[in-house]
Amino acid sequence: MKAPYSWLKDYVDTKLSPQDLAQRMTMAGLEAEQLTHIGEGWDNVFVGEVMTVSQHPDADRLVLVDVAAGEHRLTVVTGAPNIAAGQKVALALVGARLIDGYSEELKYKTLKPGSIRGVRSEGMVCSAKELGLSDEHEGILVLDLDAPVGTPLADYLGDTVIEFEITPNLVHAFSIFGLAREAGAIVDAPVIEPTLADLTGVELSDSLVRVEAPDLCARYNAIVMDGVTVEPAPAWMQRRLQAAGIRPVSNLVDITNYVMLEMGQPLHAFDLSFVEGETIVVREATPGEVFETLDHRIRTLTGGELLICDGVKPVGLAGVMGGVNSEIVDSTTSLLLEAANFDMVSTRQTARAQKLQTDASARFGRGLDPELAAVANARAAKLILDICPGSTIRCSQDVYPHPPIVRSIAFDSSHVSRLLGMQVEVETMLPILDRLSFQPAYDEASGFLSVQVPSWRSDVTIKEDVIEEIARIVGYDSLPATLITGTTPLVERDPIFLAERRIRQTLVAAGGFEGRGYITISDADVKRWDFNETAGLGHDLRDRPLVRLRNAIPADDNILRLSIVPNLVKSVTKNLKHERTVRLFEIGHAYLGTDPNLLPDEPSTVAIALAGQRERFDRFDPPSSEDGQLDYFDVKGMVDAVLDLFGLDDVEWTPIEHPALHPGRAGEVRYRDQRIGIAGEVHPRLAVELGVEDMRLAIAELNVQLILELAATANRPEVKVARFLPVEQDFAVVVDRGVQARTVQQSLRQFAGPLLTGIALFDVYEGPQVGEDKKSLAYRLTFTAPDRALTDAELGKVRKRIERGIQTRLDGSLRA
Amino acid sequence: MTTIQHGLSREIDTVRREALDHLDTLRSASDATLWEGAFLGPKGQVTSLLRGLGTLPAEERPIAGRAAQQLRDELAAAFAPLRDRLETEALGLRLASEAVDVSLPGRKPTIGAAHPISTMIDELVEIFALLGFQAVFGPEVETARYNFDLLNIPAEHPARDVWDTIHVQTDGEEIVLRTHTSPMQARTMERIQPPVRVIVPGVSFRFEAQDASHEWQFTQLEGLAVDRNITMADLKGTLQEMARQLFGPERRIRFRCDYFPFVEPGVEFAVDCAICKGRGCRVCKHTGWLEMGGAGMVHPHVLRGVGYDPDEVCGFAFGLGIDRLAMMKYGVDDLRAFANNDIRFLRDFARAIG
Repeated sequence: MKAPYSWLKDYVDTKLSPQDLAQRMTMAGLEAEQLTHIGEGWDNVFVGEVMTVSQHPDADRLVLVDVAAGEHRLTVVTGAPNIAAGQKVALALVGARLIDGYSEELKYKTLKPGSIRGVRSEGMVCSAKELGLSDEHEGILVLDLDAPVGTPLADYLGDTVIEFEITPNLVHAFSIFGLAREAGAIVDAPVIEPTLADLTGVELSDSLVRVEAPDLCARYNAIVMDGVTVEPAPAWMQRRLQAAGIRPVSNLVDITNYVMLEMGQPLHAFDLSFVEGETIVVREATPGEVFETLDHRIRTLTGGELLICDGVKPVGLAGVMGGVNSEIVDSTTSLLLEAANFDMVSTRQTARAQKLQTDASARFGRGLDPELAAVANARAAKLILDICPGSTIRCSQDVYPHPPIVRSIAFDSSHVSRLLGMQVEVETMLPILDRLSFQPAYDEASGFLSVQVPSWRSDVTIKEDVIEEIARIVGYDSLPATLITGTTPLVERDPIFLAERRIRQTLVAAGGFEGRGYITISDADVKRWDFNETAGLGHDLRDRPLVRLRNAIPADDNILRLSIVPNLVKSVTKNLKHERTVRLFEIGHAYLGTDPNLLPDEPSTVAIALAGQRERFDRFDPPSSEDGQLDYFDVKGMVDAVLDLFGLDDVEWTPIEHPALHPGRAGEVRYRDQRIGIAGEVHPRLAVELGVEDMRLAIAELNVQLILELAATANRPEVKVARFLPVEQDFAVVVDRGVQARTVQQSLRQFAGPLLTGIALFDVYEGPQVGEDKKSLAYRLTFTAPDRALTDAELGKVRKRIERGIQTRLDGSLRA
Repeated sequence: MTTIQHGLSREIDTVRREALDHLDTLRSASDATLWEGAFLGPKGQVTSLLRGLGTLPAEERPIAGRAAQQLRDELAAAFAPLRDRLETEALGLRLASEAVDVSLPGRKPTIGAAHPISTMIDELVEIFALLGFQAVFGPEVETARYNFDLLNIPAEHPARDVWDTIHVQTDGEEIVLRTHTSPMQARTMERIQPPVRVIVPGVSFRFEAQDASHEWQFTQLEGLAVDRNITMADLKGTLQEMARQLFGPERRIRFRCDYFPFVEPGVEFAVDCAICKGRGCRVCKHTGWLEMGGAGMVHPHVLRGVGYDPDEVCGFAFGLGIDRLAMMKYGVDDLRAFANNDIRFLRDFARAIG
């Protein structure tokens, strides 16, 4: 809400500068977002009087104007069509800095002396645009006749516009008067009431208005006036409207807008001659009813919207916009002024359904004070009487069956100090509440404070609201800073958060950079990664419907991610433009649909995506031409490191077929028959589509939530401190090519028995030395006994047992 | 006998002369090793002399033995300092030859970096743990009931307009991407009885056009404390403690009246600018204060909604943007950098905060 400081000063008598006032109001809940100064550059501009206007000797379109402004008297040349002798104008002297009236953009120019068609021009008569008052550049700005000639224009027209952010609870401050009333309470300055038309003795009609939907229209106040003339509004009113952001139209329409800004009550003026039967009916629309609003749009109504009608037809969409069929026109002589109170919810719904947010709907949609309607209408009538000489009030009607009951709130005054945590004396509270019109009363015996909530403060309903009123005026700067006393609750650390933190540390130590990407993906992503058809990546997606957004940003990314991989891979591609190695990971939720009316499951998930050169590219690890690319085993290594954190005793890796993955380089990891994740290389065709060419793109995804659940039941090995030295022995196991390394390792573990404390695979060999269709896996086994040094004899027995086991179990052999 | 004696003594003299002559010619540690082997080693000449003693008649052995022993001691004594000197020289040469340019890069392990927002969350969780606040986490897709209704933001109330909401397509139920971490206020209070002290770090969403200071997806920190006698001054003190931990011990918190439906009274809180110490600079837009978030005393409707009795207990709640906090703390000027996953940013950031 833009509030010109000069307008505020009409209603609050304060000596504070606009800056200081804005600051005080900001701290008390009315945030001043911006201060704009009107007249900042008007150093050489004065109020001038046009003495004579004569034709330019050499140009038909130009005139010579003799302007007086105090000690200055000069002749200027202008082409302004609206200039006339006797006018008060803004006269700019040489050196004035003005806005270029002919430029589309905001451009300043400094006025220089010059000749126009042979006549010397020493200054300029300014348009509103040149002064920065509006976009108007058709003619010069004509000032009011009482403008003081010779004074600097800044003293006369200069102003500061304070733009306030009005929070939804403060509809009572959504107006100049409302802001002034707040200012008065905040800075303790007198508030001046607006002047209203005296309606005593005016005929009270009972046939002017009929409200058929009283639930949606708590009040309808109508005033009929005759003898009005439609012409431009006075300059001061136009200027104020412009400063507040509303374009002037004509006096009557401008007055309704002016009062809306000033009082916060939207008004509407109907040309009475178009109101058939000179009667207003307020009713709900029937389904399919059609109506043309002032913006010349045909509106089809769904039924139930509140309509303002005359005896025959709709003339206004209540609280939103009037109709074309009854608007004020140049020939209007009689009018009906409407100031009503329309239902907040109904107005909001209508404005939303019609996609028509107006100044009126913004105000009704926040819930207006019904008391305001009659005051605002009398204010408008007063302005019409002042501005249209000869106008009269014919009659009025006020349909207001149930004025609201004044709400009173009483509470123990010690609550104030107890809630705030600082001592506030009753002597401090009473004048504050009084300034806020709460009519406070204090009962010394009981210590109770009671207030009567003013009609415009519908936001105040409980004692805490009253306490806030006191606190915001006292000011929060006096609030001390203390810490909570009392029992400290027991803190439980969230196991998932802790697990995620350990995973993060591990992956960072493994060279990974953590990303945090958007949680939405597109249909193209779903198709690309085959999320509809397959068992998914880190999560099993069978029987998991997609979760779609109604209004996504951007609109195409309207599916909640079922996997972190798609977006992470996009980040890999982007990074490859400037990095030779990319190791990214992300920890977050996947969103797996359940029932369309229930919340999706959001398991904690970690995804890894790698591409590029494995070497560090330094002198110890220079780039090599072959085998230098990150691949399946890099990503699997990171997965192994993560799984090691959770002590899962024996996970099982099996190859999987997934259309998005390399058919020979992708596996899923299972624990106790449940899939806990996958690792693989992206199918080269998809990798190219994703922008990764000539490189392997390796990804993995783990279901952290499930891993954590399973880890809780895993058999964790006992931690023992070894006192005897370990003995290492190497075993080269030759088996068929098809036997999984995991199976070999399992057998070694089993046959080695309890003395085995470490096992490492250090070579895989396939070739003539082991025979066709065979492979040799070389392991180094570490043996330790808890209570003795191991002897060769003991180890010899173990070796024999392993050899036999490998032979019978795997049909394999140990290579010498 | 004397011949034998003389023979041995001549032999000893010859060995002595030969050994001492050779000793003068030693120039390197390897020469020394050869010398030691030739004379004093297990197969050296002195050792064979000593071994030869056994062939002498018993009565001659003591004298000959002493002489040979003497020779060994004499040679060992002459050899030791020379060997030490030569070894020291050799070591010196080796060390000199091994000298490196100490400014050359080391064998650096490949280490990545955590995301700045994760680092910020870890820091906040730690700070609040010291104040007895537990970190809790909740769903990011929420029902309108938890996101709005239980927070005193009824449907069709103008307050609901404050949140530009992203909706999930449903068959009727209103489900949204949570617009703040505040739903966890109600979820937590439904689960436990006072005293309550929790923080909720987490991602939140608004239907908002993106620019340098607006993101549709962002990270928030919620705080909630409910007990028998919690005051607004406690809220100020708690936030001040957080600000001091994050921005330095002199920081102060300022409240200004503001409106959030789930608190009453409600305030917006700011910290005095650590850069200019509140005097006004570019970072704080010459106000001396940096806005951090919203806060207030938990609205009685919210307490009642979860089954608490507002006449018995009260509390405070606050919310702030973690992304903004990170921007403020580390001077990042574009919010979008946090969602870009650009390794250059992540790497530089990790270095900057390290």
